[in-house]
Amino acid sequence: MISVIEAGLETSIQDWPGRVGFYNKGFPPSGPLDSWSFRLANILVGNEEGFAALECQFMGPTLKFDRDIVVAITGADMQAKVNGQTCPLWESFTVYAGQSIEMSYAISGARSYIAFCGGIAAEPTLGSRSTFAAAGVGGLTGNALKIGDILPVEPGHGEAGRRIPLVARPHIEQQLTWEVEAVAGPNDDWIDQQGHDRFLSSEWRVSAKSNRMGMRLEGPDWTFTNKAYDKLPENGSEPANIIDHGYPIGAVNLAGQTPIILLNDGPSMGGFINPYTVPQCALWKLGQARPGETFRFKSISVEEAQLRARQINTLCKDCQVNSVT
Amino acid sequence: MIYDVPKVSPGGDRYLLVEFGNEMNLDLNFKAQGLANALTGEDRINGVIETAPCFATTLVHYDPDLISYSDLKVELLRLFESLGSSDDIEVDSRLFYFPTLYLDPWTTDCINDYRDKINPEKEQDPEFVARINGLSDVRQLVRVHSGTEYWAASLGFWPGLAFMMPLDPRCRLTAPKYNPPRTWTPQGAVSMGGMSTAIYPVPSPGGYQLFGRTPVPIWDPQKTFPEFEGDLCIFRPGDRIKYVPCSKEEYLEVERQVTEGSFKFNIVDYQRFSVGNYKRWVASLDLTSRF
Repeated sequence: MISVIEAGLETSIQDWPGRVGFYNKGFPPSGPLDSWSFRLANILVGNEEGFAALECQFMGPTLKFDRDIVVAITGADMQAKVNGQTCPLWESFTVYAGQSIEMSYAISGARSYIAFCGGIAAEPTLGSRSTFAAAGVGGLTGNALKIGDILPVEPGHGEAGRRIPLVARPHIEQQLTWEVEAVAGPNDDWIDQQGHDRFLSSEWRVSAKSNRMGMRLEGPDWTFTNKAYDKLPENGSEPANIIDHGYPIGAVNLAGQTPIILLNDGPSMGGFINPYTVPQCALWKLGQARPGETFRFKSISVEEAQLRARQINTLCKDCQVNSVT
Repeated sequence: MIYDVPKVSPGGDRYLLVEFGNEMNLDLNFKAQGLANALTGEDRINGVIETAPCFATTLVHYDPDLISYSDLKVELLRLFESLGSSDDIEVDSRLFYFPTLYLDPWTTDCINDYRDKINPEKEQDPEFVARINGLSDVRQLVRVHSGTEYWAASLGFWPGLAFMMPLDPRCRLTAPKYNPPRTWTPQGAVSMGGMSTAIYPVPSPGGYQLFGRTPVPIWDPQKTFPEFEGDLCIFRPGDRIKYVPCSKEEYLEVERQVTEGSFKFNIVDYQRFSVGNYKRWVASLDLTSRF
C-alpha cells in the first residue's frame, strides 16, 4: 500500500484508453493526457497496458510505501527524490518499505506519470479506473488524490533497472514553441481562406485557463465563410455557433473567437464549430505544454495522422525496453 | 435543409462526423439514431468503436488500424442507404413517467436569486416562456409542456444530460438561453433552451429557462436504484419521457421515497418507436391548435 503524504496539484488515477464506449451518454474517455509517456511507465514496471497509474500535473505528490514496490516515472521532470537521492526518469527502480517518493514542481513539461508494478487497484466505473473529477467518477473517490488517501497496489512481477531508450520517448523539454499537428475538419468549410492561413501561420499562446477538459489558446481573430452567417436561427447567433453536435477529442473548438482544444475530460457535444482536430499523435504535446508556451499548427492529412499514431504505438511496446547495465 | 446524401467529414485520425442536414428537425435525429444503431448493431462495421448521435449528426469513433477513413466512409454511406427512408426506421424506445412539480418554489428561488444578484430585469422564466410563445398564461405553459411525450434526441455535454424534443408538434416551444448564465441551478430542474427540454442531473451552473422540478434522479453514481445497473445515468438516446404534473405533497412524498431508496421508477419497456407511424400521426393533426 502507498499513503499519500502530499497530494500535489490535482494528481489523479488514470488508465488507458480510459472510459471508452459511453460517449453517447455524455461520458468523455478521461485517461492520461500524454498517453505515450503513460504507456511507457506501465511497460517499465511490467504492467499490462490497461493498468491504472498516477497522472501528476505541474506539482507532484509525496508518497510513502509500506512495502517494496517497483515503480517508474515518465513524462515531465518533477525532480522526484527518494531519501534525498534523485530518482531516474524513464527507468524502473525499487522503492523500499518505509521510503517515500517526494516530487516537486515540473522543470520541464507539465505532466508526470508514476506506474507501480501491479497497478493501482481502484474499483472500475463503467470499465475504467480513470478519474473524471468534474462528475466525481473513477479513481478512489471520484476526485483527485487527497492527503491521507491510501492507494492499494496489486502484486506484480516487474523488475528494476529497465530503461526506455531515448528514441522511444516523447521529446519533452521546456520549449517556447511546439509544432502541433492538426487535421482539417469536421467544420473547416466554415472558415475562409484567410482564416485558415492565419490559423496555420500564427503563434497561439497556451492560456493559464487550461485544464484536463480543454486547452484555451490566445491568438488572432477568426474569419468565416458565408456558411457561418447564412444559416437558420436554430444554429445560434454567433458565427461560430452551429446546431449542437458531437465533439471529437482533440477538436479545436471555436468558442466565439477563442479556440479551446477539447481534451480527455471535455464535453462530448455542444454548439460551436470545430474547424480542425488535433490527432492522437500530437495529443501528448497538449499534455506537456505549459501556460505561456506557444503552438504552431501544421496541417496534415487523415492518413498521415494515422501513420504517425501507428509509429507511436510501435514505440509503446515491451520490446523497446533496454536493461540498464 | 436535409441533405440528399449525408456529408461526411474527418475529426482527426479516429473520428468522423456524419451530417444529415443543417436544421432542427426530428427527422434528422431519427436518421442520426438509425445510423448510430445500425453501426453498432447486427450489421456493424468492423472497426467502429462507438457512436454519438446528436440532433442532425452522428459522430463515429473508429479504430484506424481496423478500417481506413475512406473505406469507413464508403461502407457507412452504403449502410445508411440500406436503411431506406427514415420512415422505415424503428427503434426500441422506453417510456419514462416523471412526476413533476411545475412552477415549484425551488426554481422560483433560483430565478429570484439571479434577479437579485445578476439581472434585476430578468422576467420570471415561466411568464417569459409563456409570453414569447404566445401562450395566455403560465397555466397554459404547464398544459402545453406536459401535453406531449419527449424524445431523447441526444445525450451529452454532461454525463446523462438528455436533450429532449417534444414529439407532439402542437407542444413545440422555444426559449433563448440566459445571458449571462446562472451560477447555480437546483438538481432536477425542468428547463428549456432553444427547442430542447432538459432535466438538470446535478446542481450546476446553467442557461436554460426554468419552470419545474422533478424529484426523480437521472444520475446515480451510488447505484441506489436497480435501474442504474451497469450505468450511472438513466437515459439513452431514443427514450421517451412524459412529465406528469404533480402537487407539492406528491413531490415531497416521491422525494422522501427517493431519499429512503424505496422509490420505484415508472418505465414502460416493450415498445418500438416507428418513425413511419409517427409521421402519419403527425400528418393527421390540426397544428393550429394548442392544448
